[in-house]
Amino acid sequence: MGDKASDKKDVWQGTLALMVLKTLQALGPLHGYGIARRIEQTSGDLLAVNYGTLYPALLKLEQEGYISSEWGVSDNNRKAKYYKLTRAGRKQLNKEEREWEQTTAILARFLTPGEERS
Amino acid sequence: MRRLRAWFSRLGEVFGKHRREQELSTEMESHLQLHIDDNVRAGMSPAQAQREAMMKLGGLEQTKEQYRERRGLPLLETWLRDFRFASRVLRKNLGFTFVVVFTLALGIGANTAIFSVLESQLWRPLPFPDSERLVDAHVVLRKNPREGDVITNSMCLAWVGQSHAFSSLGAYNFPSSRNLTAGGLSERVPVMNLTSSLFKTLDVPLERGRIFLPEEETAARDHVAILSYALWQTRFASDANVIGRPVTIDGEQYFVVGIASPRLRFEYLPEPAIYVPLALATSAKVTRGIYLVGRLGPGVTVERSRAELDGILQRQLQAEGGKQEDIAAVSNLRVTWTKYSARGLYFFAGAILLVLLIACVNNAGLLLARGLSRQREFALRAALGAGRATLIRQSLAESLLLSLAGGAAGTLLGVWGAAAFPAFLSGEALPRHTENFFDWRVLLFVLGVSIFSALLMGIMPALFSSRVDVTDALRKGTSGLSASRNQHRTRSVLVAVEVALALVLLFGAGLFLSSFVREEQAPRGFDAPGALTFQILLRGKNYAQPEKQVRYFRILTDQLRSLPGVQDVTMGTSVPLQGSELTDSVNVAGQPPRDEHGTGVMVYAVGPNFFDVLHMRLLAGRALNPRDTETSPRVAIINRNAAHTLFGSENPLGKVLDYVAGDERRDIPAEAPVQIVGVTENTQEFGPNEVPFNVLYVPFSQQPDRGATIVVSSSLPRGALLGAIRDAAYSLDKDQPLYDIKTVDQLIDDSLRGSQFDLILVSCLAVVALALVSVGIFGTVAYFVQQRTQEFGIRFALGATAAQVLRQAIARTYVMGVAGLLCGLAITLALGRILGSTLYLVPQEHDGMLYGAKIYDPLSLSIACVVILLILFLASFIPARRAMRVDPMVALRYE
Repeated sequence: MGDKASDKKDVWQGTLALMVLKTLQALGPLHGYGIARRIEQTSGDLLAVNYGTLYPALLKLEQEGYISSEWGVSDNNRKAKYYKLTRAGRKQLNKEEREWEQTTAILARFLTPGEERS
Repeated sequence: MRRLRAWFSRLGEVFGKHRREQELSTEMESHLQLHIDDNVRAGMSPAQAQREAMMKLGGLEQTKEQYRERRGLPLLETWLRDFRFASRVLRKNLGFTFVVVFTLALGIGANTAIFSVLESQLWRPLPFPDSERLVDAHVVLRKNPREGDVITNSMCLAWVGQSHAFSSLGAYNFPSSRNLTAGGLSERVPVMNLTSSLFKTLDVPLERGRIFLPEEETAARDHVAILSYALWQTRFASDANVIGRPVTIDGEQYFVVGIASPRLRFEYLPEPAIYVPLALATSAKVTRGIYLVGRLGPGVTVERSRAELDGILQRQLQAEGGKQEDIAAVSNLRVTWTKYSARGLYFFAGAILLVLLIACVNNAGLLLARGLSRQREFALRAALGAGRATLIRQSLAESLLLSLAGGAAGTLLGVWGAAAFPAFLSGEALPRHTENFFDWRVLLFVLGVSIFSALLMGIMPALFSSRVDVTDALRKGTSGLSASRNQHRTRSVLVAVEVALALVLLFGAGLFLSSFVREEQAPRGFDAPGALTFQILLRGKNYAQPEKQVRYFRILTDQLRSLPGVQDVTMGTSVPLQGSELTDSVNVAGQPPRDEHGTGVMVYAVGPNFFDVLHMRLLAGRALNPRDTETSPRVAIINRNAAHTLFGSENPLGKVLDYVAGDERRDIPAEAPVQIVGVTENTQEFGPNEVPFNVLYVPFSQQPDRGATIVVSSSLPRGALLGAIRDAAYSLDKDQPLYDIKTVDQLIDDSLRGSQFDLILVSCLAVVALALVSVGIFGTVAYFVQQRTQEFGIRFALGATAAQVLRQAIARTYVMGVAGLLCGLAITLALGRILGSTLYLVPQEHDGMLYGAKIYDPLSLSIACVVILLILFLASFIPARRAMRVDPMVALRYE
């Protein structure tokens, strides 16, 4: 199993927060395990989320006021802590999305051999 | 913003830790369960499902730890833990804690007190709006900018009229004491002349009424007055109708036009009761004691305003054809007003800081010793995984806790001390009326000083005790632990530092002592042991004419002289040590003036037997006598200093002095010329610590005044004498009260009070310093001896004599003590050189804190050295004696 894991990319610091926020926007309130699974699935299993690192990230987002949490019951009747996006979180997500698109657009120009660079 | 929010949220999480920890556990558990459920659904066996889930989570405890690091503020939590630990340790060792906290409380308390005095007296802005923009404009001599010169009226007018650097410029003079009659009461009050613009400059509008009109600032129409708020409240019961009514000042009617704001205060001057116009344009050319205050215009710097004023001044001087000896000077108004108290206060602040330094060094020694006895504990902690940084942090937490406790106790002491200060210090040293000595700045200062002390005393012991050799320390028994050579050396160095600092203080105290003794012994130039003095100020219309004044005092002195038990009686407008309010400027007739404004003299108008009764020595010529009357030729006697200033080595007898001008403020014309008939020895006019004044004694009959001091020399007890005097005076005129009743000895005591206070304060500081140093030396030697008990035992067993052992026990302390002594001497001499010119009485300047003392005052220096050596000897000998009494058998069995 270890060899399989090594093929996958670790999530970069900083992008994890964005992924969490995006996931919560798409799916609504969700527990930690659910968020982690969703991120892995969305990446087409290309990313490996170390579930342990997820929790400090969630705490940080909560401290910053982007998400809030409350205890609830899962589909299969397990008690779990559910996280959901706050208003500030939605705003932050919009902002970070825009920034990210900008960044990738800029990088894309560098990486694709453009006409002006020839 | 986000960060701050997160930080606060984390701060909140520091508390209620237990509940959060449980929540985390539950969340992790639910995560695992969800994962396992998923895995089972995907077809794994339960055991496999659990294993996979655990692995994916990456270790339960690590996850929790990562989470904890993000939650709360780990740094703060560590500190809290350190503090809790430190307070436990300190509570267990109450004796030690008490000594350290007490020492610090003394040091910090004294510093807090002096800081609050400095802050409230020197640094706090003056109570006017935007007061740091206010400046004092004056002139100083070009060749010696430290010496101020007289501002003439024309200079004032030129500055006021031509300068643009100020948004407003106002002038005032030194208040003169004048007779106020209003509502049937008469009293002597300080009256200040000022220009209307001063109210605008200081930005303190009147409480009621109006300021002076421009036409009222001319000599013709200047009989208008503004009452001070205090006078209005006390004398006129805050009656608004007083405006428009007349009051009488020195027999002339003035109409009240306004009431000043209570915020108008000239803190370093006698607080004026009444303000009248300063007629710059029309009074005499020179008015002594004019002060100019300006409010700098927007964006104008002090230097720019000075340059502008200097330009105007030089043009003016050139136009007048005078010598261009003066240059303009501009300084911050607050600094100018507090200048005279600043030096003394800074000096004491320095001495008090030294005490704190000694306390810190002393505590460093104690902490070091304690660190040694705790080596085993430190070693154990190191063995259990505490890093060096952790050990240092914990040690520092202890010293911080100690110094914060000291700071808290010190604040209480400081509150008391600051409240006690004004009671001790004369008004001259603390000119500003401040209601609250304490404010948040003082508390901030205490916090700062506490942290500073903690670092000062804690950093070195912390470094030492953290450097433990774990195996070594744990292997040995507790008793076998010994200080390394290094640590002994460090403690001795601390002793040296303490000795050096204490020597500086001790020498300072010695200087004050020798200065005080000199002041006491300084020739006063007069003497009348047991004589009683009192003052009378003639009130009422009956005494408006000079002849009436002369007659009253002649009859009074004659009647007093006839009382049984009275040897002699004399009188004068004032007597030596009271100083004289009468000042004038004179030139020698028929000679080019020495100074274009004349030579300033202090004038005493005195009775014929003044010099006899006060035993003043006549150096040449004759004394005054009863034949010097209103109608006889006008004569004067000058003191030795005036003779030297005016005539050098020439014989002054028979020369004539012209008065330059009378007292322009009261529009009194210049006195007629006087002929010099005698020269007397100098006397002290205010006290010993002064440069001799030029003094002129004239017959009271030729220059009478409403007020006089009567001197009655008698062998009667004070009570009986005073009763008889009162009866005699009241039978002459019952409306003239006697006041300011004092014996000549009391006058002398009063003149020494300031120096006495300085001496007491510095001595207290020196005693505290010595006590601290003694404890330091005692502790060091005692510890050394205790450590070497075994070694001494062996030496005795091998035949060493008691003297040899003793020598070994105290040798190092002595060497370091003497080294400290030499360092202290070097510091003292260097400080003396730097501060000498400001601390010592410098000729031709009427100030200086120490009288006649020399930087190299051999007596003070040697006394200081001897005391230090004695302390060194006693404090080390007592514990070292234990070394001589060591029983070899006991010592060897000790292990």
